[in-house]
Amino acid sequence: MNFKLRAATKDDCKDISRMITELAVYENMPDQVKISHEELERDGFCQNPFFECLIAEVPEEQKSKEGFTVVGYALYFYTYSTWMGPTVYLEDLYVMPEFRGNGIGKGLLCKVAEVAKKKQCVRLQLSVLNWNTPSRDFYAAKGAKDLTATEGWHFIRFDGQNLDNLVNEAPTN
Amino acid sequence: MDFSIRAANVEDCKDIARMIRELAEYEKVSDHIKITQRDLEQDGFSKNPFFHGIVAEVSEQHRTKDGHTKIGYALYFFAYSSWTGRAVFMEDLYVMPEFRGNGIGKALMSKVAQLGLAAGCNQLNFTVLDWNKSSVDFYLSQGCFNVTTKMGYHCMRCEGKALEDLAQP
Repeated sequence: MNFKLRAATKDDCKDISRMITELAVYENMPDQVKISHEELERDGFCQNPFFECLIAEVPEEQKSKEGFTVVGYALYFYTYSTWMGPTVYLEDLYVMPEFRGNGIGKGLLCKVAEVAKKKQCVRLQLSVLNWNTPSRDFYAAKGAKDLTATEGWHFIRFDGQNLDNLVNEAPTN
Repeated sequence: MDFSIRAANVEDCKDIARMIRELAEYEKVSDHIKITQRDLEQDGFSKNPFFHGIVAEVSEQHRTKDGHTKIGYALYFFAYSSWTGRAVFMEDLYVMPEFRGNGIGKALMSKVAQLGLAAGCNQLNFTVLDWNKSSVDFYLSQGCFNVTTKMGYHCMRCEGKALEDLAQP
């Protein structure tokens, strides 16, 4: 199968938004998606973007059943380790089911790693659901270490009312 | 105890580097530190910084045995959730042991939350080691939740040779 990997443009945000929802459905959390293509356009294509995105595209003759040629994406941003320096965090990696098995997911992951290397990042980090065996196997095969299992790292979050409460207690000096 | 919290500037990097090492010793990983004061100056205070910092300071009369008045810090950067949008990630939160119990850690974390909210973020995220009971208890008491235990997300990392191999065109 022919496919092309390229940087996303603002016009791709509708497709990216569509695929974000598809990925959330796959992860059994479709009601967790709160943002639309408008936020993606604003946050990914402003002067100091919050993220970067790569797109996988197939030619017209290989478009999906519904007529889509944008069939996969990788959304990532730059982070920092106070131990090691700049890192890349891969927020999402997704290929539409009918296009899997053609090396598109691997291609996207490698492209993100290439970007990381160009920016002198020393780590590529991501998170994966513990029950998602195909994805865990995919990443493990590429040499990723599970830091939760091996070192005991847990993700912690403040959001909603709890975040507001925390903000209200910030010092005023 | 009186203390103040302010944005870090490039002159603070020496103290931040010192406290990063102290935090790494506490987390039992001090041999992993590759970052120097110079790296922090370049990475945090250039045109497109990789991170932002805030520093907690006490007055001269409360300085440490070694003469330090900068006794805590938090390092954060902006992240993104493809489900909920802008987020802030707190990479480090640290208060020197002799200054704990005075609300400084809480004040630093609240300030990061406030700065995040001001930038349009609706999540404050960070990681903690599961054996670090005092930190886990502190965070839970402040109202956060554990995404790993509640939703099943595991942190994964590619580095070194694995990352090199992946980056081959």
